[in-house]
Formats: sequence, structure tokens, C-alpha cells
Amino acid sequence: MRLSDFSKDIEKNVDLSVSKLNDAQKKLNAIVTMIEPDEQIKEVKEKDPALPLYGIPVAIKDNITTKNIRTTASSRILDNYVPVYDATVIKKLKEAGAVMVAKTSMDELGMGGTNLNAYTGKVNNPYDVKRISGGSSGGSAALVAQGVVPVALGTDTGDSIRKPAAYCGVVGFKPTYGRISRYGVIPYASSLDHVGYFTTNIVDAARMLSILAGRDDHDMTSSYEPVDDYEKKLNSDIKGKKIAVLENVMSSIQDERIIQNFNELVEKLEKRGAIVERIQLDDALLQTLLPVYLIIANAEACANHSNLDGVRFGMREEGKDLEEIMINSRTKGFSSAVRKRFVLGSYSLFVENQDKLFRKAQKVRRVIVNEFKKVLDEYDCVMASAASTIAPHPEESVGEKMSDTYLVAENFMVLGNMSGYPSLTLPSGFVEGCPIGINVTAKAFDEQTLLNICKAVEEETGLENVTVEVQR
Amino acid sequence: MNYETIIGIEIHCELNTNTKMFSAAPVRFKEAPNSCTNEIDLGMPGTLPCLNIHAVELALRACMGTHCEIDPLVKFDRKNYYYSDLPKGFQITQQFHPIGKNGYLNIQTKDGMKKIRLNRIHMEEDTAKQFHTSSGSLVDFNRAGTPLIEIVSEPDMRSGEEAAAYVEELKNMLYYLGVSDCKMEEGSMRCDVNISLRPVGSDKFGTKTEIKNLNSISNVQKAVDYETQRQKELLENGGVVEQETRRFDEATKTTVLMRKKEGNVDYKFFPEPNIFPILLDESWIESIRNSQPELPSQRKEKYMNDYGLSEYDASTLVQTKELSDFYDEVVSHTKEYKLAANWCMVEMMAVLNKENIAFKDNPCSPHHLAEMIEMMKANEISSKQAKTVFEEIMKGKDPKKVVEEKGMKQISDPNEILKLVTQVLNENPQAILDFKNGKGRAVGALVGAIMKLSHGQANPKLANQILNEELKKR
Amino acid sequence: MEKFSKEMLKKLANQVMFDLSDEECEELQEEFVTYLKQLDLLNKINTDDVEEMVYPFDTPTSFIRDDEHEYALSQEDAMANVPLKNENYVVVPKVVK
Repeated sequence: MRLSDFSKDIEKNVDLSVSKLNDAQKKLNAIVTMIEPDEQIKEVKEKDPALPLYGIPVAIKDNITTKNIRTTASSRILDNYVPVYDATVIKKLKEAGAVMVAKTSMDELGMGGTNLNAYTGKVNNPYDVKRISGGSSGGSAALVAQGVVPVALGTDTGDSIRKPAAYCGVVGFKPTYGRISRYGVIPYASSLDHVGYFTTNIVDAARMLSILAGRDDHDMTSSYEPVDDYEKKLNSDIKGKKIAVLENVMSSIQDERIIQNFNELVEKLEKRGAIVERIQLDDALLQTLLPVYLIIANAEACANHSNLDGVRFGMREEGKDLEEIMINSRTKGFSSAVRKRFVLGSYSLFVENQDKLFRKAQKVRRVIVNEFKKVLDEYDCVMASAASTIAPHPEESVGEKMSDTYLVAENFMVLGNMSGYPSLTLPSGFVEGCPIGINVTAKAFDEQTLLNICKAVEEETGLENVTVEVQR
Repeated sequence: MNYETIIGIEIHCELNTNTKMFSAAPVRFKEAPNSCTNEIDLGMPGTLPCLNIHAVELALRACMGTHCEIDPLVKFDRKNYYYSDLPKGFQITQQFHPIGKNGYLNIQTKDGMKKIRLNRIHMEEDTAKQFHTSSGSLVDFNRAGTPLIEIVSEPDMRSGEEAAAYVEELKNMLYYLGVSDCKMEEGSMRCDVNISLRPVGSDKFGTKTEIKNLNSISNVQKAVDYETQRQKELLENGGVVEQETRRFDEATKTTVLMRKKEGNVDYKFFPEPNIFPILLDESWIESIRNSQPELPSQRKEKYMNDYGLSEYDASTLVQTKELSDFYDEVVSHTKEYKLAANWCMVEMMAVLNKENIAFKDNPCSPHHLAEMIEMMKANEISSKQAKTVFEEIMKGKDPKKVVEEKGMKQISDPNEILKLVTQVLNENPQAILDFKNGKGRAVGALVGAIMKLSHGQANPKLANQILNEELKKR
Repeated sequence: MEKFSKEMLKKLANQVMFDLSDEECEELQEEFVTYLKQLDLLNKINTDDVEEMVYPFDTPTSFIRDDEHEYALSQEDAMANVPLKNENYVVVPKVVK
């Protein structure tokens, strides 16, 4: 569904979406909380129908704080948490006239890439329910792919928007760090967390950026860079644009169909006048992407979630003293996977370990980003297949475990988080009836170029507004 | 063996701001529990810190007052631990890059001036306040997030007296600078003292103990004196001092063990990722430097050198900032410095003390007091009348109105006085005769009669003069 | 304590306020092996004279919030999610620091 498909008839829009939601939930298990829309409809009716999202139903990843609407981040410890304030992005959506219809499932606290680790269970892939949606923003990706909502918010710390977008065949966009306020977004790792969203096409992705981006005084890392009218300036003429293909990724992918799909697209882009060159980064450096990411992310996450202690909000388990209450609440409140990551994170912060773990990882991060920056100093964007396979079945999914074959190909998108550069995944074709996608990353704050190139890609693939929508 | 006491002091000071260090919630005391918080202070999921510029300004003022080197690139770090008074599970502080370092403070000791070096001043946030009842602890987050500075001295003090002098000097200075209200008894200034002993002549430090939360300057001295003695006795009896945290017990005037330190707690400090480093504008820092309020020592110097006050008077005035501020305001309206000092220090303070009025509730306006002094100087009122006027301005009245209402303006017009003199002489022929016969005391009786006739308003000096002239004419 | 023994892992977990089961400890032992193996990859990268990258961008900010505009939650909102409360206080078992 495109944003432009919607009329100004709010009730009709919302009714359609809500009726699809119920079917979608049975099929996908993508929703944590359904939102009663009546109150919002009333409020939107008071507003100007010319608003860019007037009466349009949207879905929200469950780690984004919504006032008076339960927000769990798919963790048991927040199962009863009803926020008393709105995240900045929620304020912006409301101001733009949107109607929120669902809070979507995610890997607990964003910590995962499969959406298997959600308190409400696995999210099914709309194209093959036995397969995973990918994560951590799996619920949002699945709902957009299913045609329930035209846009859904997500967050991306490693590739948590862009991987599920690839597996579910939708556009997933994480703009530059600081572009969209993080205020009110339950963190995973603050220095890597980005807010972004899913759409079914590039025009909508451009419009959403103008709506959500902008300086926010509540977020000291928020950028002062001016926000443009990206939709109006969208231009798919990519003649002379320099595109770097990240060959380290492409050469490690074993599925010939994915390689072929990618190469055909490259040829088409070249025909449009783009200059495409294959570049190679130091393999030894790229092999550190996952460990560097995990060390930094786990350490920040462990501290970030120290507030979840059962004292001021959330699920409290009783105990004889304060320590026992905290231990019981957190043991029961967090899954095994999350607790194990916290231990790893905490370990790397000990004084005796910090130099060789946490600080070393932060230093390698700089080396990586410096190398990546050199590429983008020369090219307009970096491109590669977003994943080395179609969405796997749960038992095949490797998660964040080490897999030498795909160490680089499955984790390279974290380059966008380490550098903060804008990065977008869009569908490029189908293999065995399941979607595959490509990922494009551009210079910091140059979202316009990124969107322009992606528009050209979309025109070549013809995969604009593709959903597995159930006709009603 | 003779021992030397080594003392270092850490002081936490709440800053005088309207809102909290990292949130816009108001900083207020004695409010209903959990009524001065927002989602940031409560550590609610998704919140981010946002630094208060006034807190930075006050921290800078403290740094400037203590001659610290200032780091214009402000950075924060996380100190991680779990406790019910710590909402986020970490405290945002400045572990790696304090805003100020390598400062010093001069203190007055019995051997003269002594320089105490400061290791650092850094900004951080306060914790929540807990009340302990038999059924459990009650947590109020109103204090959570209140801006603090921590001031860490080098171990440069050698006695309880020096420790107390250091705290007093610092307290006075921070108060004058408007950095903090420095109420030790209410906890807005909190003092932890580290003490160790070593044989005289040794350059190695002994094991130290920390005495937490001393709530008055006199207790600083008492605690240090006691702890010095305790450690000395331990060492002399062949014992060892253990690294531990102690508290001062008011009732017994002793220090009591709180807990032993088992190694150092690892707070896993790391840079706060949610606050980009903030580069302070050099010109802003300069504007703060240029608008530093005068310190007590500077005011004292001004009072003595420019106003000609005695050392004693100058010291008395600067002992409390309110009194000194009041005096400064008075002398901005009159140049009678000495007279103004006396009225402020002696008469006014006597009334405030007698009536038990806090300075902030002082009904007397400095402007009124200055006006009264000017009237005295212009001989419009006598010093006796001034006492009456003063009583009224201490009730908040305007001295001009008092003089008018009581009709007590002094008669200094020679023609008016001549009329009075003439009338009195006409009514007292016997007194004139007495005067002519050499009875000098007759003049006194005549002056008394003039004053009585004028209801005490005649200028006595003038009356005397005119009376003598008139007597000679008769 | 033996490095990454169950005992040590449980202590590590308790320091960040939760428990690990024996089974979780065993899984974590394996993950620590991988984790530390990955360190070899990091150590291949020369980081002499490289400063830690704490934030994606190094440009300092100049924004600091003014001290004028106050914003507080109502007492009701502040207490809305508190699991155990008494007269607008948050209640925990008696703690002595």
C-alpha cells in the first residue's frame, strides 16, 4: 500500500487496516498490542486534511514509547508498562495526522536479528509462514509486507530494519544517526541505535523522512542539519553517479541466484549511466565487524537496561530485600539470551578488561569507519546484497553466532550503524517465491542521493508497492 | 612515635538551579513526594539526558573561585551500580574529564595562610531521598537528578582545625558565588573526610578511613580529632588501621564503623554515549569570569581600603553574605560608611536577633536605612530621634513618613528658633537676672525650656547659640 | 576462581542483578570461548594512536538546555507504574546503605 492510495476518509482507512490486522495477526503473530483507534480518529478529525499522513494507519515497533499505550519492547519485564509520555517520533506522527493501530513484535529489547526472541514468540514471514521475518523489527516489517499498514516504525542497531526488510520484501530505511530523534525510544545500544521505518516504495520513504527527521532538543545527539522536501526533490536520474559494490560481501555469497539478480541490476544501473565499480575492503577488518559490534552493543545495553529493576515500573517479583527483588525481577523478566548478553557486556566493562575489550572495540570501530569513509569520499554510495540467503527457517538461522561463511555477508550492514551513515534496503527480486533485497548506503546526511539512487533501482526492479495483501 | 595526620576532603554540593541537571523538572525542597520529577528523573525507558546550562555556569564559577584549570570540552561518563535511590542504574558523572582540575584554596590557620590544593571539581547528578520506616524504605525521587558538583581536595590538611577551616572557607566562597546554599545540616552540602596517619618524616601514606556525611563544620573538626586519636592509639598498641567507612556519632562524639571496604568496587565507568561532548564558547566562559560575584576576602579589602572601616568591622560584615549584601546596598545610597556599618552590624542585627527574624525576612530596606542616615547627617533629625525612626523602619516603614507622622523634624531655621528663644526669655525674667549675676547654670534651664516648648524639635546647638546671643542683648 | 567457571559466571550475573541457571552457565561458557576467540580478530587490527570512537560523529555540540522552562509529571503520572507504593512514595524493603 502506498500513502497516496489512502483517501481522506479516516474511518474507512482505519477500518480497512484494523480488519486486516486481525487476519494478519493469526497468520504472522506480528503484534504485541492492538491499539483502540477511536480516540485518535476523533483527534485527527479536528486536524487539517492536508496533513501528510492525515488519517493514515501506521504501526509502531514496541520499543517506541507511546503515552497511555502499553510499551513492552517484547520483554516480560515491561509486560505491564504503560508510558506516561510520548516519544518524539510519536509526537511527530500524531502531528502529521497518522492513526496508530498496532505495537509490533520485536526481538526482546532489540537484541536479536531473527525476531525469534520476542516475549510473544516468533513472527512469521508473510511469504512463507514457516520462515522467520528477521529482526529485531520483524513485526513492523511483516505488517507492511502483508499490506496491513503502508508504513511502520522500526529501530536499527545492527541491521534491525534493513535485514527484516530484505526478508519480507519491503523498503527498510535507517537515516543518518541524529536525523531522527531517539527520545522515547527504548534503547539497545545508544551509540548504534537509529530510528527508521518500513514502506512499500521509495516515494513514501522520502515523504516519511521529511515528517520524522529534524533537530530535537530532548536528544543531545540530534542533528541540526536542515531537513529537505525529499519527496519533491526525488530524482531517479543517476547518470554519472558513482556506485561502489562491496565485493567482499558479493564474493562470499554462495547462492548463484542472488548473485545473478544483483549483477543484472548492476548492468541496468550502468545502462542508466551510473558508474559502478567493485571495491574490496580489508577482509581482516570486515571480519571484526560482528565482534566489535557485539562488544560495544552488549556493554552499552547492559548499562542502558539497568533501569529495569522492578522498583519504579514494570514487572516486580517479590524478595526479602532490595537485591533479591531486583534479582528476581530481572531473572524472570529477561530471557536467557538477553541475560547472557548482559553478562558478556558487563564483563567487557570491568576495569581490568576495558582496554582489551570495550576500548579496543571502540578503537577498531574508528579504524573501520575511517576505511568506510574513504570509500564514500570517492563514491556516492556503497551497494551489496542485503542478505546471503532468503529468510531462513528458525533452525537454520544463525542469529549472532559465528558462522565463518557468512561472517561478512550477514553482518556488513552494521557498517551503517558504526558510521551513522544513512542506509536503505529495498526488494530486488524473488528466490523460491521469497523476497531478496539489496542494501545501499550513502554519505552522512546525504539521504537525498541515497533515495535518488534507490528510486532508480526501484524503477529497474519494478518492485514498487509489492505486498502479499489479502484481497478483501 | 610521633604521627602526622593526613586529611583529604570530598565535598558534594547541590547547585542553585531552577531545574535538574539533565531534566527540566523543578529543583525544590520540602515538596510533596514525587511531585518534582519527570520521566527522565524516574529513569523511565527511552528517556535521554539533556544538560542544564545554569548548572554548567555554576560549576564554572566554583572552578574560577578555586583557581581550577577549566576544560572547555564538557564530557560525561556513566558510573554503574544498582540501588533503589538510583533510577537509571547508573549515575551520570564526569569521571574522565572533570570540568575543573588542579585548583587551590587559601585557608587561615594558626600559623598563617596555608594553600590547600584541589584535585578536581566535577559535575554529577544527585540520587533520590529515602526514608526508613519499620515496614520498609520510602523513596522520593524529587531530589533525583538535582545538579551537584563534587570538590575533591588533595590530602593537604594536617589537623581537625585545618579541615574545619577548609570546609568553612569553601562553604563561604560557594555561598558568596551563588553556587549553592551550602546548608550542611539540610544536606545541600555534604562532606566526606579521608584520614590516615603516618610517622613524622615518612613520605608514604598510611591506610585511610573515610568518615561519611559530616553535617557541620564543628563536627568536621570533632570527627577528625577523634579519628586521629583512635588511629594513633591503634598504631601505638601494635594494631593496624583497616580501610573502612565510618560515620560520626553526634551523641558520643566518636566515629563508628559503617562497613569495611572489600577491595575497590568496580563501577565500570565508560563515556556516556547519549551526550555528545559540548564545546563551551570561550566568550561565554569569559563573560562568566567577568561577572563573578565578589568573594568575602575581596569585599573585606574594599571595606577597609575604600570605606575606611576597621578590620574588625570589615570581618564582621563579611561573616554572612546577607549582611554584607545589605551593607553594600546601604552604602550605594550614602557615603556615611562608618555610620552605615554601625547601624547594620549593631542596631539592625540586635533587632533581628532579639525578634528572631531570619535575614531573608528582614523588614528593613537598605534604602530606608540609608535615607535615615542621610537625614541624620543633614541634621534633619537628632541621633535621639534617629533611634525612634529606626524602630519604625525595622517594621518596614519609610523614614520620611515616620518623621512626618511624628512631626519630629528638627527645627534648624534661626528665625524659628529666635521666636522660641524670645518667648522663653520673656517668660523667665528671673533666669535672665541669674545669668547677669554670673549664674552660668541658668543657661541650662533656659535651653531645657526651649526644648520643651519646641517638643524637642529645636536644634539644640543652634538654640544654645541664639540663646547666648540674646542673653547678651538683654 | 577458575576463569569462566559456573561459580564465576553466576557471580558476574549477580553483579548485574540476575541469576543464571546451570544450563545457562554452560551455554554462556561456550559463548565466552567464541567471544574471546573473536578477540584474536580484533587484535589483528593495529589501533596504535587510534582514539576510541564513542559516538558516530566527532563534531562537538554547543547546545545546552536553558534553566527556565520547567516540566514535571503530575504525581499521579509519576506513580502510575510503580508496583508498590504508599502515600505517593515508592516502597522497597528497608535498605541501609
